[in-house]
Amino acid sequence: MIIWSKKVLLIIFGCLVFGAPQALCATSPLEQVKVAVDQVIEVLRQGELQGEARRKVLSKLLRSRFDFFIMSQRTLGQHWKKATEQEQDEFVRLYSELLEASYIGKIEAYTDETVDFNSEKIDGTRAVVATVVHSNNTDIPIDYSMVKKGNDWFVYDVVVEDISLIKNYRSSYGEIVRKEGYAGLFERMRKKIAELHEQPVWAREKT
Amino acid sequence: MPVISRIILLLAVFLFVGTNLAWAEQEEDGTAVPSATTQAQVDWTELDEDDQELKVWDPLEPFNRGMFWFNDKLYFYLLKPVAKGYRFVAPEPVRESVSNFFRNLATPVRFLNCLLQGKGHDAASELALFMINTTFGIVGLFDLTPDDMVKPDAEDFGQTLARYGTSSGFYLVLPVFGPSNARDAVGLAADSLTHPVPSPFYLKMKPLEVAGIQTYETVNELSLDKDTYESIKKDELDPYLFVRNAFMQKRAAKVEK
Repeated sequence: MIIWSKKVLLIIFGCLVFGAPQALCATSPLEQVKVAVDQVIEVLRQGELQGEARRKVLSKLLRSRFDFFIMSQRTLGQHWKKATEQEQDEFVRLYSELLEASYIGKIEAYTDETVDFNSEKIDGTRAVVATVVHSNNTDIPIDYSMVKKGNDWFVYDVVVEDISLIKNYRSSYGEIVRKEGYAGLFERMRKKIAELHEQPVWAREKT
Repeated sequence: MPVISRIILLLAVFLFVGTNLAWAEQEEDGTAVPSATTQAQVDWTELDEDDQELKVWDPLEPFNRGMFWFNDKLYFYLLKPVAKGYRFVAPEPVRESVSNFFRNLATPVRFLNCLLQGKGHDAASELALFMINTTFGIVGLFDLTPDDMVKPDAEDFGQTLARYGTSSGFYLVLPVFGPSNARDAVGLAADSLTHPVPSPFYLKMKPLEVAGIQTYETVNELSLDKDTYESIKKDELDPYLFVRNAFMQKRAAKVEK
């Protein structure tokens, strides 16, 4: 803990002395995630936007903070290197769409959850932001793994209750690629995306 | 000196992580040779040290998929409708209290496994919480855990076995109980000897009573759940693979805690 506060002091001192631009000091990974999450919650809470219009706004917010390209590479892992360029492009396109559709589906089920932003651990150009989502009776820990590009931090993995999304997809998509090839994987992905779009989330029965 | 101790600590961590991976899953064959063609582009495929594809050992996959299918039907055609009806008649605070009660009731299992793993502090916390919740919390219906207290991680015999070096073995989907593996299935059987409801040693309930109470506990938990399984089925390309990997990740994390 002592080391941390020393580091923080040093950074503050550094910013003051060298007059670094405000952006450099102000945008920690935690703050950047917080801003994004707060914006999402705000959109959901005020309920002004509905249906497709709201989806578009949420999609934009999501794509500004999630790095779907890194996520794609990490999900395919070894298979990525063996894929052709067309296969890589197609995968990134389908995967972004799929992640977005399922993520938006999840956040649209929002009722009255609150989010605590507990801590951030920065290690060079990488960081983990620990959050807890409080739903009426349960607390769900969600960690965002982030990477720094320029002055901004982007999410490249989400760990919900100790389960890494990317690790999970790496395992299941890897198995599908091995058994059915890219043709099989893309076929499944297209079908899933169509399914998710066909039944708009806001029209789904809430139980 | 501090430098040396730090190095030793680091080594210990690496060894620990190494053995962990070795028993839980087989790894992708290490073909991580960087090829010249892909070097031009930034490569994020191996950002983390453990960025290998974890392959779960699943020699019984056909059987497991059968059980997964069975549990799926059990869930949608029996347990979930019952849970929905129950949710309608019992208000949430009641269902919360029932959940607290069952959690408190299972303390012997957690307490014993804390002891077996040498987690004295956690064992003491379990015991203290049990005494407070059983008395002031009225047989555990109310959870009086102080806000600033972190509840000890729920220990079970599967984790105890892991602690003494038992690998998880093959993946196994149990009927009704759901995802498991060779080690944790043995753990589940062992824990049923110390859990007050199924234990043949103390309350000595009849099998039908045990089944009834366990079903009720499951239904109560499902009534509080926010359609986790539904959302997995809706979102995932292959729900079986998703659940299998999620289970293995979750158990690996629990073993480490």
